[in-house]
Amino acid sequence: MDVESDTPLLWAIRDTVGLTGTKYGCGIQQCGACTVLIGKRPVRSCGITVGEVAGKDITTIEGLSEGSKHPVQLAWIEEQVPQCGYCQSGQIMAAVSLLEQKPNPTDQEIDRGMLNLCRCGTYTRVRKAIHRASDLLKEVS
Amino acid sequence: MKNTNMNRRTFLKVTTVAGGGLLVGCSFSSPKLLSTPQASEEELGMWIRISTDNKITLIVPSSEMGQQAHTGQAMLVAEELEADWNSIKVVTAPVHPEYIRSSKQSTGGSGSIQDWWEKLRQVGAGTREMLVAAAARKWGVPVEECRAENGQISHSPSGRSLNYGKLASAAAKLSPPDSPTLKTPDQYRLLGKSLPKIHTPTMVNGFAEFGIDVRRPGMLFAAVSQSPVFGGQVRSYDEAAAKAVKGVEAVVPIPNGVAVVADSTWHAKQGLEVLKLQFAGGDSTGLDSVKVNARLRAALDGMGKAEVTAEKVLDVEYEMPYLYHATMEPMNCTAHVTSDSCEVWVPTQNQTDTLKAVMEVTGFSKDQVQVHTTLLGGAFGRRAEWDFVSQAVTVSKALKKPVQVVWSREEDTQHDFYRPASMSRFQVGLGSDGLPVQWERQVAQPNLGARYIPQFGLIDFDPFTIAASVHDYPLLPKHFYKVEGVEVTHTPVDLGVPVGFWRSPPNSINVFYTESVLDELAHLAGQDPLAYRLKFLSASPRHKVALEQVAVQAGWGSPLPEGNGRGIAINDWPPMEEDFTVAAVVAEVSITNRGKLKVHRVDCVIDCGFAVNPDSVMAQMEGGIIMGMSAALFEQITLEDGRVAQSNFDDYRIARMRDTPEINVSIVKSDSAPTGTGEPATSPIVPAITNAIFAATGKRIRSLPIGKQKLV
Repeated sequence: MDVESDTPLLWAIRDTVGLTGTKYGCGIQQCGACTVLIGKRPVRSCGITVGEVAGKDITTIEGLSEGSKHPVQLAWIEEQVPQCGYCQSGQIMAAVSLLEQKPNPTDQEIDRGMLNLCRCGTYTRVRKAIHRASDLLKEVS
Repeated sequence: MKNTNMNRRTFLKVTTVAGGGLLVGCSFSSPKLLSTPQASEEELGMWIRISTDNKITLIVPSSEMGQQAHTGQAMLVAEELEADWNSIKVVTAPVHPEYIRSSKQSTGGSGSIQDWWEKLRQVGAGTREMLVAAAARKWGVPVEECRAENGQISHSPSGRSLNYGKLASAAAKLSPPDSPTLKTPDQYRLLGKSLPKIHTPTMVNGFAEFGIDVRRPGMLFAAVSQSPVFGGQVRSYDEAAAKAVKGVEAVVPIPNGVAVVADSTWHAKQGLEVLKLQFAGGDSTGLDSVKVNARLRAALDGMGKAEVTAEKVLDVEYEMPYLYHATMEPMNCTAHVTSDSCEVWVPTQNQTDTLKAVMEVTGFSKDQVQVHTTLLGGAFGRRAEWDFVSQAVTVSKALKKPVQVVWSREEDTQHDFYRPASMSRFQVGLGSDGLPVQWERQVAQPNLGARYIPQFGLIDFDPFTIAASVHDYPLLPKHFYKVEGVEVTHTPVDLGVPVGFWRSPPNSINVFYTESVLDELAHLAGQDPLAYRLKFLSASPRHKVALEQVAVQAGWGSPLPEGNGRGIAINDWPPMEEDFTVAAVVAEVSITNRGKLKVHRVDCVIDCGFAVNPDSVMAQMEGGIIMGMSAALFEQITLEDGRVAQSNFDDYRIARMRDTPEINVSIVKSDSAPTGTGEPATSPIVPAITNAIFAATGKRIRSLPIGKQKLV
């Protein structure tokens, strides 16, 4: 990637790599719309520079699965989570990571783990979809 | 099913495209003479395009901003067209008079289904009839023996069938029907079903295209800075410093600020950082929240208090803050101006004013302008504005290159068209039966009506202080609560802060007032808040049913743990109209002995006529409730030194997962024509919560947000 090392990862992903599924929402790591995975860790890509992640394995929403077959994506479709959809890439990446750490999250753990903002108010469905994804992941494994 | 426009003639227009296929246009205003082949090219293919390889594209008039207008409108067409639901594609319409509803081509007022219910079904039905006629002619059989189903016309006596693509060219040569026959509800295959939303697949894999995701060949990125004092002007900036930043190509003045244009967003932002931009003056110079309150208070006091003599008197004042829309996708627009044309790609709710803004900046005629509406990352009324359009077009016009303007969250927070701050006094006298004998209301707030209809400013009249409120204005339809002895006065207050539509103006202000006051009166009269409300609904049977049903659903009156309380409230939308949706909610809250508030559960009953897509209706109730709850609990814009004090989600808090209650929605079964669902739930949840706080603690919330107010 030919960008200065102080470029926030978000803008390198969007403007240089050209993957626009990762969204800009606030630029100060508050909203989570820009969440990507570095290894298995969820990272707000607006708050980390390209230099800091050099050589690391980064997954964006586009690379999560072939044909939207990741259990979290399937659960999102089954529960019909998105309204406007803008924050959902970040919600999904955060949920993937939450389920890595807590395969059977309680509602309370979802409350604590899911800090991404959604102005449309899809939270009740995000919660349902995480529980459903948890079940799907168990079926897979 | 009620069909008010059943007899209106629809004039379909059709033609073939190069290589065959069917383009269906439709005019609701022009005579049939305009049908093929006399109709002009641009009037055709406006609603349905069927290609010979059987690809079906539906062109829908409303923007998709999360309310599922695309899915709902496609269902209306596809139902009557008998299209194969899984093979259709949906796009937002370009700018054209045929897509105007009331006076503008715009999306709002929760009207995407209500306003297009008749027209879109007629377009579908007329096209279906032509495909059937084409098949009958081809096979030499009577039309009555042919049947359209799931994208095929079949003739069962002979066992023949053809898909729509194969019939498209032949159908295009036929004369369109005047009055296509619409299905009866028992024939529906799609309507009334919770079909999955059309855009869900691309919203879970990152490929949905919002305004900010538009990419054009050679496109540049622009970051903008606007005067933090409203109406302020640019005084100075260091253009050379910005241009010295790598990748920065230009610095371009925009109406109230400056844009730095670069080869990437990051470079543009870096250029803006070193621009040393200085502003001067402005309409809100020196304004702060203390002064806002003082001005509203002075206006309120200027109206003078009423004399109220009755057995019991309620005398209270309420106030509400400015609110920010906070769409997750910040304002943005991509424009490409050439010497004789302009294209814009924009997440907009308002194509009419977008077009006007482009014409104004470029001086072009409307034929030289193309508006492409992308998906909208939230809107709630903010994207009915066009300030960001003018900016992008201004910059592209200067550079003659495609340019994308994206606002930072800080710009977005500080340059909104805010929901107006408001202050209102209620003095209500109750008779011996506990019912009002005198109802005096005064209200002071910025004139929202004048923002859209400037003439209202000349006569100091603001209908937005009246609608959704018990009132005495003789020419306006009455509120659903039948109350005697009402006198309402209002004073508009111009504070120099831009105001605009925020998800259900005026209800999002007035329903808090009205439903709080009703609750106060019930307690003053010593009556149950539900039973008390029902006494005012003798002429509003749908409201009565919704309230009674939500009470049963929520277990109204059943015992609760210590520290918990329930509150009830009701709303209709749009206010003062003949066809409306009713939404009733009950909120259950708890307050710990340290005063910590939690909304546990919300029950909602909605009567929106026939529910075209019940799951979408539920989603709008859930989302509306959460947005209203967020406003009640947390949200306020304050002013300091002439500018907005908040700048991002760290100081403008909105609801998160952990704030979200259990939400139970039920839909009243109805065979009336559908009415809107985007807005009805946002307003009543607010007083339902504050009424529940009163039930739990005896503390009456008369000022929003609830925020850090002491509850015990």
